[in-house]
This record gives sequence, structure tokens and C-alpha cells, in this order.
Amino acid sequence: MKLHHIKSQYKNIWTWLSILIVLLILIPNATILVNFFTKEAESWDHIQTYILPELLTNTSLLLLFTGLLTILIGTSLAWLVAAYDFPFRRFFKWGLILPLAIPPYIAGYTYNGILNYTGVIQTTLRNQFQMEVNQSFFDILTLPGAIGIFTLFLYPYVYTMTYAFLSQQSATLIENARLLGRNATEIYFRIIIPITRGAIVGGVSLVLLEVLNDYGVVKYFGVPTFSTAIFQTWFGMGELNSAIKLSATVMFIVFGLLILEKVLRGRKKYSYTTSKVRPLEPITLTGVKRWVTFSYCALIFIIGFLVPFIQLVDWMFLTFHKVASTEFLELITNSILVATIGASMIVAFSLVIGNFARMHQGLMARSFARVTILGYSIPGAVIAVGISTVFIQLDQFLFGFYEALGIPATLHLSTSLFMLISAYVIRFLAIGYNSIEAGFDKIGTTFTEASRTLGMNVTKTFFKVDLPMMKGPLISGFMLAFIEILKELPLTLILRPFNFDTLSTKAFQYASDEQIHEAALPSLVIVLVSGLAIYFFYHVLEKEPK
Amino acid sequence: MFINIKDLCFGYNRSKNDIIHHFDLEIKQGEIVSILGESGSGKTTILRLLSGLEIPSHGNISINETLMVSDHTFVPPEKRGIGMVFQDYALFPHMTAGENIEFGLKGLRRKERKARVEEVLELVNMSEFKKRYPHEMSGGQQQRIALARALAPKPSLLLLDEPFSNLDAELQVKIRDELRDIIKQTGITSIFVTHDVADSRALADRIVTMHNGIVSDQKTVQLTR
Repeated sequence: MKLHHIKSQYKNIWTWLSILIVLLILIPNATILVNFFTKEAESWDHIQTYILPELLTNTSLLLLFTGLLTILIGTSLAWLVAAYDFPFRRFFKWGLILPLAIPPYIAGYTYNGILNYTGVIQTTLRNQFQMEVNQSFFDILTLPGAIGIFTLFLYPYVYTMTYAFLSQQSATLIENARLLGRNATEIYFRIIIPITRGAIVGGVSLVLLEVLNDYGVVKYFGVPTFSTAIFQTWFGMGELNSAIKLSATVMFIVFGLLILEKVLRGRKKYSYTTSKVRPLEPITLTGVKRWVTFSYCALIFIIGFLVPFIQLVDWMFLTFHKVASTEFLELITNSILVATIGASMIVAFSLVIGNFARMHQGLMARSFARVTILGYSIPGAVIAVGISTVFIQLDQFLFGFYEALGIPATLHLSTSLFMLISAYVIRFLAIGYNSIEAGFDKIGTTFTEASRTLGMNVTKTFFKVDLPMMKGPLISGFMLAFIEILKELPLTLILRPFNFDTLSTKAFQYASDEQIHEAALPSLVIVLVSGLAIYFFYHVLEKEPK
Repeated sequence: MFINIKDLCFGYNRSKNDIIHHFDLEIKQGEIVSILGESGSGKTTILRLLSGLEIPSHGNISINETLMVSDHTFVPPEKRGIGMVFQDYALFPHMTAGENIEFGLKGLRRKERKARVEEVLELVNMSEFKKRYPHEMSGGQQQRIALARALAPKPSLLLLDEPFSNLDAELQVKIRDELRDIIKQTGITSIFVTHDVADSRALADRIVTMHNGIVSDQKTVQLTR
């Protein structure tokens, strides 16, 4: 293709907007990597010798065991629900996703509140049965405790991806294995696990990225990891440069994980290419097996959702009169405000890049699409470091401009909501983009082409033809991004303007101040909104005929 | 000549083999030409190059003395004034038949637009379907609306991509005759691609054959009717 053709093809507003958005994502992350090699940090030697080994050990243990346990629970549940029929199976299909509605940090302090000395279990034992228990059995504020919390509340990532694969792709293989006389256990280990490798790796890598991103659980449980260390060096020691070096170290770990994921997924040779796939027909279980299966699913559902949910409702009633005030209304307003602005920007940006990517099939378009997903792999604390660095430099650059305007030359941008919202956009763009890309894939390009042969240019076509057809993906992309922002903790904690609280920061603050009961109301709002979204996406939408 | 295609070459980005190899074709005004070939012969690509949906790696296309594409010019599809009926019709699902047709009529006054919509609806015999949405019409009805939509802006050239592939055999013969009547009635220069020899013979003034993934030879068959 000749150069001038390329130019005329790329010369429109979509290209420029896409480049701008991609730069917004790349610059903060690139800043961290560049500063890692260029900036000197005073205490870096100290950190490297005394702190880094512990961080690496803790992080590795958390990743390893959470990974293994979520695979075990996630795939086994997915297999049972996909292949067998037993009581309440239709409910479990989406009910087992519900633990995802409870952010791990909320689950963490809720379970601690249930199990500690003043919690419901120990008080019941003491008062009803006069039993004093060994405290160490009930202390979950440890590394294994954190692994347990992560496992229980993150396994749905593995479950949903594995279930989707099994129910749609595996029918013939599993039926053949049954015909060849294999029993359920053999099929599980020799067929299910190998063929679902791609889905499992996909799901478990989401789990691991969430573990790396977490700040709330590890802080509350007192398990030092990179997220807490970044907070500590930055705010405790006032050393941004050391925080940058820690952040870069996390980024190397993330890149390592992503490469590992690519390698482990192989060449996706286990998925069918034909569209003629038959859904798996579940077989009805009888006798003991039926009830064992039911009990297993029920147990996970009860400890993964019902128990913490009921406990939160109970605490909420205890403290409602105290917590529900005008200040609480302000929390809700703040949360809705940042989540609405953030999610709208995410959807708008996704539309721009999605539209650009489908119109130009080249390398540039493909790498742009990849970049949007980058932010989702980077832990919140790291993005926070990157974006503050950039915004502080921007403010310093604008000092002269501020003075010219007659306003005090201080940090304006880097203390504003604008910085927090930009960070949300970087971190969650992937969520909106996935939904919008799927929508564009579904409508294809013929409608756009038809419109252009009828005399409309790219931009007019976008507003008159593409956009109205994208209503569904737009709404779901917005909702998913909205909920992620609502739940978000580390970014919000670091980047929020002074005295600006959201539901998640306030809940975490209550819990950290030993006011667990007061944390219940803001936590419940988050859990309810997320739970409703799960119900809507995995139950209501599933039922609609395709 | 009304349409002049000279030395046209085209290949997709990453494949080494060109799909179109030094393709030449001339068409007179008012002529109906059929491009006949098996799937993968590149016949649809010719239509996409003509309409501007793909950019050739080399070669010229001019329509009615206006250069549409060359090594130095490229007129975007919306400025070419070419009507196209897509294989799957591509009727906008969120618009009624009438709105679909009206979509291409910008620059006209509201009254003129309405009148033109009525006119083409009458031409394809679909006046009573104006308020229907695409999913409320049969395949044959959708195709007629797609044809009306393409004809409404009075294009200088009409392109049809496998116009009968989505219709069952019985309907195919009936629609074929109707289509021929409509096109003849408007006198518009038309190119349609098909893999069906019978369609070509029934509809076209001239048949151009394409072969085996590349335009190897051009067998132009003059028919006497």
C-alpha cells in the first residue's frame, strides 16, 4: 500500500483521539520503568536487604497457594454444575459467582469479626457452653488466613471461565470418555483438567492479578506485600523514589505472570473452530452422590457468600442509627460521582479505540487494543505511584501558568479528583473495552460499509449507525466499570483529594479503626450493588434466547 | 468508456499472494455486467475496490471520466456516488424500511426526501412495507428494500454482491426477473457478482469470468438476446 493511501486512511479524528488515549495509559507506566533505572533512592539499599526478601516470600506464597486452591475449587464446582444435575443446580450456576460481589477486604474484616474473641462464634461458645477456646485456632490474621480469604472470594474467576468452556465446548469429548467406560473421577483428571487448561489459566491469572492488586486484605491481616510496602515507603518514609522502585519490581512480576500465561495457554489448540458445538447435557445424579454434590456446592456458597452477608446485615442493624447520617449520604454521592464519571469516560474511550481498531486492521490498531488491557494487569498502588509522578511533574510544569492566572502556584492537578478519575480509567479501561470490542465483533463491518456507500463519512456513520446498534454493549460496559470503581480500594485510598471519602475507603477506615460494626453499612451497599449486577449478567442475560 | 478499470492489483496486508492481479475492465453506460467465479476468486473484492471499501495496491479506476483511485488519488466511499446491495443486505436493524431508504438522501429537502422514498418503494413494489423493521420482513422483501435503498440517492453505478445467495431456489427465479425489470427501468449501469451461471445468463448483458483466486484470464462473453 502506498504511503499517501495510508495517510488518507488514517487521517481522521479517531486516529488522533486513539493515540491520545493510548498515551494517557502508557505515560504513567513508562514513567515508573524509566525512573527505576534512572532515579536514585536513599533507602533502596536498606529496602533491598531487609524488606524485599520478605515481600517476595509473602507474595510468592500468596500467589502460589491462592492459585492452586482457586483452581481446585473453581474447576471442581464448574465441572459438577456443568456435567451433573442435582438439587438447586440452576441456582448454583449463578449463585456460586456471588462471592465475587464481596470484595476480599470486606470479607477479610467480616470473617475476622465473626471469629475473634468478641465474635459471634466465640461468644456463643463462652456464654452458652462455657467453653474457652485456644485463640490461635481462631486467629485468621495470618498469611494462611489471607490465602483462605483470597481463595474463597476470588475462585469465581476460575469457576466462570471454566464453566463457560465446559458447558459449550466439551460435550463430544466427555460423552466419548463416558462411552469408553471411564468413571467421573478419571474423566475429571484425564479429560476435564487438560482440555480446560486454557480457561483455567485465563481465570487463575485474573485471580493472581487481583491478589497482587490487593491492599485491603494484606494490610488488615498484617502480611507485608508490595502494595503495603509501596504505601509504607511513600507515605511512612516519604520516599517516592523507593516507592517507584518497588512498583517497577511489581511490574516485572506482572510481566512475568503474563508471559507465563501465554506459555501455559499454548496455542489454544484445545478449542474447536467450528461453530457447531453442542452444549453439554447434564446427567442426573442419584442417591448419596446427589447429596454430597449438593452439600459441597452449598458449603462453598454458604461460607463464600451467605455467612459474611448475614453477618454484615446483622451489624448493619446494630449501627444503622449511628452510621446512616448526612455524612453517609455524602459517601454515596461521592462514590456515585466518581464511578459515573469514570465509567462514562471508560466507555467513551473504549468506543474510540474499539472503532479505530476495527476500521484499521494493522499492527498499530492491534497494539492499541493490547495497550487498553495493560492497565488492568497493573496493581492499583503501582498505577497510583505512576500517575502521581506524572501529575506532580505536570503541576510543576504549570507553576508559571498558575502564577500568570493569579492563583497560588501549588499542586492543583495532583490534588484533584481529576487525577483519581484518570487512574480509574487507566486501571479499568480493559473492562469497558472487552464489552465494547465484543459488541463491535458481533455487528461486524457491513452496516458501516453500507452507510458509507450511502454517502455518510466515518464520524456520521458512527453516530447514526454504529452507536445505536451498540446500546447493549455500552450499557453492560458501563455497569461493569461502574461496579469495579465502586469496589476499588488502593487507588482511591492513595489518590483521593483531602477529606474525600467513598463507600470503600470509609468501610476500610472503619474496619482499620476497630469499628467493624460501623463498616457494615457502606460494605453492604457495595455488596448489594455488585450482587445485583452478577444476578443480572449471569442469570437474567443467560436466560434470554440468543 | 463509462467505467475504466486499469491494471488493478490488490492483496491483504499479511498474505504474500495478491488476490487481484492486473485486472482490466471497461463498461459502457447502461450496461449490466456479471462477474462470474467460484468463491475465493476475488470477485467480491472487485466490488469492494470499486466502491472504495478497499484500497488497491496499484492501478486506476475512473467512473464517468472522474478518477476515483490511482497512485495519487483516493476518493472515499461516501463521495463516490456508487450504490451497493450487500450479500446479507445490511439493512440497519434499528431503522424501519422507510428510514433505511431515507438514510442515503442527505442534502435534499424533507419533502423531496419523502417523495423519493415513496418513489423507490413503489419501484420495488414495497410501498406498504415502509413502516416495517428489517426483522419483520422476509428475505426477499429485505432484498428489495436493500435495492431501493441503494437506488434512492440516484447512484451512477449499482453494485450487487451475490444478490440471490440468501434466497431459496423458487424465489430466486422470480426475484431475478423482477430485478432485471427494475434495473432496466432505471437504466442504471450495474455490476453483479455471482457463482451461478444461470443467474449470469438471465440477468447480464455481458459476463466476465474470474478464476482460481487470481484473475488469470478474462473471458468476456457477448450474449445475443
